[in-house]
Amino acid sequence: MRIFFFLKEGIVGLKRARLSAIIAITSFCVALTLIGIFSVAAINLKDTLFQFYREIEIETFLDPGLTPNQINNLQQQIQAFPEISRVIYVSREQALQEFQKVFGENLQAVLKENPLPASFRIVLGAGYSQPQYVEKVAARLNQLTGIQEVLYQKEIIQFLQKYLKLGISIGGIIAIFLLIIITVLVFNTIRLTIHARRNIIQIMKLVGATNQFIKGPFIYEGILQGLIGGILSVFLLWIIHYTVRYFVFAELAMENYIFGGLIALGILLGLIGSYLSVNKYLD
Amino acid sequence: MIEFFNVAVETQKRILLEQITLKIHKGEFVYLIGKTGAGKTTLLRLIYMDLFPTQGNVIVDRYSSSSIKNNQIPFLRRKVGVVFQDFKLLSDRNVYDNIAFALQVIGQKKKEIRSRVLSVLTQVGLNHKRYHMPELLSGGEKQRVGIARALVNEPFILLADEPTGNLDPDASRGILELLEKINQGGTAVCMATHNYDLIRLAPHRTVLLENGRIKKEISPENLPKIF
Repeated sequence: MRIFFFLKEGIVGLKRARLSAIIAITSFCVALTLIGIFSVAAINLKDTLFQFYREIEIETFLDPGLTPNQINNLQQQIQAFPEISRVIYVSREQALQEFQKVFGENLQAVLKENPLPASFRIVLGAGYSQPQYVEKVAARLNQLTGIQEVLYQKEIIQFLQKYLKLGISIGGIIAIFLLIIITVLVFNTIRLTIHARRNIIQIMKLVGATNQFIKGPFIYEGILQGLIGGILSVFLLWIIHYTVRYFVFAELAMENYIFGGLIALGILLGLIGSYLSVNKYLD
Repeated sequence: MIEFFNVAVETQKRILLEQITLKIHKGEFVYLIGKTGAGKTTLLRLIYMDLFPTQGNVIVDRYSSSSIKNNQIPFLRRKVGVVFQDFKLLSDRNVYDNIAFALQVIGQKKKEIRSRVLSVLTQVGLNHKRYHMPELLSGGEKQRVGIARALVNEPFILLADEPTGNLDPDASRGILELLEKINQGGTAVCMATHNYDLIRLAPHRTVLLENGRIKKEISPENLPKIF
């Protein structure tokens, strides 16, 4: 009975103050869409980085004079590193074939000999695909006898290491800033819709409604505004995502929990915003 | 059942009421008269505890202004009906729903609401217009709806703040007759008014306020000598 009354009054309230309800829902929608875009950007960045780290390989070129036995020993030695999951031996002939595949040119025909050394392609274990481990492993590999050179994407790893933290901090600050602005904006529009109907609060107080009962319809209204704004923002975000995938970047990832999260955030903001605003009109 | 003990209400700028000692008995009809700004509305607000005295004490039923808790105020207001000059009806719902609203917000059951709203609508003579929207009603009818809403909780007192201030003489008389009828049913009425014609028509105990003080209390027998 009570809940139906709150819900009915909430809906009546939305209809009654149509303009301010539209403003509130629009601001919910815009705010949540912005948060959605930010989240999509964040997960895509995270995915890209993870992908990159997963693919970190260390190439170790071997001294030309090693016998197959020595090579075998070396491989076993490297395999024993706890950080390393796989060691793949690439012989000089395989290296030549790969080169030809990639560059389309027969090196041996040009140079009359195969200039490529044999190598190990080393893949790090799942927990160790991070810059600090890569550097350590590379340093240790360098000290082994029979190894001519250790190569990995040092510059990129160092660059990422340097700027990743900065990027995360800046992104975090922007996100917090965005959230604060959005919260203030949404709360103010909710306050506006409640202010437009202070007479109904006055009458409720006059006829002896408890504060709980006065808040009820407004809170339901706030939740409804948040819910509708959230659903609209999901549509909008879906359209934006679809468009970007279609025209710009086909790999753009999306997680379903972002959609759910936006709706949940809308409801939560609506709840808190209306609760705080209606409290202002109750002594 | 309503008692004022040496009550004063002061704001930072001025004194709204002072030295008010007054008793309103069960089932009584009292007029509050005085110029605009004399303190009539302030005095009524003290009764439904929309305002608290800065000095003294107001007792309403079993509640005291000095000790009532915030969460008790709604329960006091269910026993005190209030009617305003500007009716304060909700324009988005019809007559029936305006009155039912007063019961809905205190959590009454639907069946109970229906029977009480219909009963009070009959009492104010508006049963036939229960599905009309407020904007389609005359001033007098609007005020009847306001009175019905105030009565539907079966209060022991009805406070009326200039209830005829926006009405023509005929409608005003109609409202007064209705208030008299309600009073005869046992509900006390305290009415602030400027309209001395009405007081002549239905003489009752009259309290004259001037500059926030009670200047005079006039018994019904003495009224003809003054007006």
